[in-house]
Amino acid sequence: MNKIKSRQLYLYFLAIAPVGKLVLMPTQLAVYAGNDLLFPAAANIVLQSAVIFFVMLLARRNKSLYALVEARLGSIAGKLVCTLFSLFFLYAALLPLLEQKLMVQSVFYDTLPSTIAFAPFFLLSAYLCAKPLSSLGRAWDVLAPLSIAGFSGIVLLSAGGADFGALKPVFGQGGWGFLRGSAYTMSWFFDSALALSFLGKVEYKAGMAWKSALCYLAGGAAVLLFLALFYGTFAEVSVRQLFAFTKTAKYFSGVAVLGRVDYLFIFALALVMAFYCALPMQASVDCVREAFAPKNRILHNVLAILVNAGLLLGLWLLNFDFLSTSTAIAKTLFWIFPVFTVLLPLILLAFGRDRVQVS
Amino acid sequence: MKYLTGNSAQDVAALKKLCPAQDVLTFPFAAEGGIAFVALYADAVTDKELLGSLVVRPLLHYTGEADAQEIGKRLAFPECKRERALNALAAELLSGNPVLLAEGVREGLVLGAKKVFVRAVAEPPTDVAIKGPREGFIEDVKVNTALVRKRFKTEELRIEMVEVGRRSKTSVALCYLAGTAKEEVAREVKARLSAIDIDALPDSSYLTHFLAERPRSLLKQVGTTEKPDIFCAKLAEGRVGILADGSPIALTVPYLIIEDFQSSEDYFVPSYRATFTRILRLVALIVAIYLPAFYIAAQLFKLQLLPIKLLLTIAGSIRGIPLSPSLEMLVVLVTLEILNEASIRMPKYVGMALSVVGALVLGETAVSAGFVSTPAIIIIAFSGIGLYAVPNLIEQTSVIRLAMLLVAGSVGTYGIILATAFLLFYLVTAESFSSPIAAPFSPLVRSDLKDAFFKYDLRSLDCRPRAIGSKNKRRLRHE
Repeated sequence: MNKIKSRQLYLYFLAIAPVGKLVLMPTQLAVYAGNDLLFPAAANIVLQSAVIFFVMLLARRNKSLYALVEARLGSIAGKLVCTLFSLFFLYAALLPLLEQKLMVQSVFYDTLPSTIAFAPFFLLSAYLCAKPLSSLGRAWDVLAPLSIAGFSGIVLLSAGGADFGALKPVFGQGGWGFLRGSAYTMSWFFDSALALSFLGKVEYKAGMAWKSALCYLAGGAAVLLFLALFYGTFAEVSVRQLFAFTKTAKYFSGVAVLGRVDYLFIFALALVMAFYCALPMQASVDCVREAFAPKNRILHNVLAILVNAGLLLGLWLLNFDFLSTSTAIAKTLFWIFPVFTVLLPLILLAFGRDRVQVS
Repeated sequence: MKYLTGNSAQDVAALKKLCPAQDVLTFPFAAEGGIAFVALYADAVTDKELLGSLVVRPLLHYTGEADAQEIGKRLAFPECKRERALNALAAELLSGNPVLLAEGVREGLVLGAKKVFVRAVAEPPTDVAIKGPREGFIEDVKVNTALVRKRFKTEELRIEMVEVGRRSKTSVALCYLAGTAKEEVAREVKARLSAIDIDALPDSSYLTHFLAERPRSLLKQVGTTEKPDIFCAKLAEGRVGILADGSPIALTVPYLIIEDFQSSEDYFVPSYRATFTRILRLVALIVAIYLPAFYIAAQLFKLQLLPIKLLLTIAGSIRGIPLSPSLEMLVVLVTLEILNEASIRMPKYVGMALSVVGALVLGETAVSAGFVSTPAIIIIAFSGIGLYAVPNLIEQTSVIRLAMLLVAGSVGTYGIILATAFLLFYLVTAESFSSPIAAPFSPLVRSDLKDAFFKYDLRSLDCRPRAIGSKNKRRLRHE
């Protein structure tokens, strides 16, 4: 099990990547784009799928990110790029982790949550980071049906209470709302950068690029459907509804009799999210390992522990500063994301194309 | 190495020196032709009737030469071989085969007159089928291999014998179908068996520790069965089977976790029924593992999980219970495990009495005395029954249930989710002889899903499980 199968990659784009967009992003979009929240989300999804298409074109080279850069610019540049991406992945992991932590504390606990309630996540994450990406690929095989079942359950339970008329008037917020919505939610879209970290670890199959992009688009369509349901359910009060996917289904009429049956689906999605949140950290560890000590298992394990311990510490320090931290990541420093998820992958593609012609 | 001298008195003394046990006896007798014979045998393990009728009686009238080959011919004994080395003769003697020495002959005759103690082939108590064959393996490897041979009348069935145990010298039979099983797996199993350096092998379960790639793993890595029909079905799928003398439990590798959700009966009933029972087993197992944990998590951390009416009922029944929910559940669970353990090992005649004590005294009285609540008893009872829906995984699932209970009591619902994630990841990365244990779900093997939780009709199962990696892929040909 050295490489991810193409099927596992498609399942990731189709069913795992979308779950990260169901927690706080819908609320943020409602804040910045109001009833037009679908358009900025769609723009980001289309942009990401386009970049994923180009990145996956490089997969046929069967070379990792480090090997691609090293072949063109030398080992020092390779190490530099990998280190930069490693730091970016750590940075990108911060927001999903913060929102996960808040979600866990408010959704899974009625009683006063312990500050260490979320800490065990880092044990799981360290374990995942210490394993090769192909192991995660196997997990995606099981998680994808779970994610689809969880998402479908939430959608089915929510559908009855949604009034899609709330989405009208279409484009009522104008261009400024669209731009703000697109820019300030870019921090949830770093999938194309993750796709870069998959390079060299995927079993290449013909048509992988467009199939990956198509799967991402299909997953994105599911996110758009959920956004429509979310805004259709809460309309103007959407801006106050945090952890969207845990809220929409609770108005299902059967809840009074059966209890919160939607929790079954929420648990399923939370399980998938645990793996989703660990992926950037895994990518970060992998980038450094590949660039500096590709065969050193001990270093790999030490890095996995260090990265997770560091992020646990960071999360603990930012425990009461979620608002300022998320504002800084999503609003002030949002430009970091297009640099790493659009600009750098496209530059890499240009290098990659050169090499293909030479060979 | 010492050899027979031809002087029977000296040779008997030498053999008695090698086998000083008091149950090694000698029987001297003389033939009509004048040759003096001595039969040596281990008292309890030799078939003396066979020795008398097929060896001693014909030789009493022997008038031929003092030559081992000639004597052997006269005997017309089906299992008779000549041997000169004293050590080899002593080993045969101790394993139950009598040794015949003749005066002036420097070779002994080893006679296959071992007394075989076997119980009748009966239905195994751990694997009962309402429909289907009722034969079960017994403790004799020869009978067990015969049960396998009876089902495969083909030259492709390979049975290779390996001896394991420095002192017990237990015969272990390695069975596989050549051309169907992966040769690498058969080779690897043989290598691992041959590498075992242990003094005795009391049961085949010892072998599982040596065959497993991760011996300390929580997960099973070797399949087990007591039924020859299941064993043969697994061989036909491309697996390698292991039978050990002295054990009715046969082992099979590679092992996939889905095997334990399948029963032989699933193949004898309509596929919709088999699908229903397999899903039922899965649901029972999930409920058995998670129900106590979620009950605690719901009580301690997230009350909304329960419907309001149920919540009120539970609130009423737990009022006045002195223990915390997690401690209460733990106490009930440990009590159940103790009852379970005791009921397996206790003499049958006290079983009824203990059932009354366990069910009535401990259950009823503990509730009425207010030590534990009724929901806790109901949940643990249901969980206890649910685990036995998949009996072959009981060792693993009972530990997982306990772990979930502890996690739920300390970290709550999210702890259960994380523990599940751990378990899931551990499961999907585990392998048994290069076959992923979680197949056909992870990695997804679409063709193998036909015989997973959804069982297709037998005519659709035309290929062997791909996850095992058999060379011969097709098992059913359509006209």
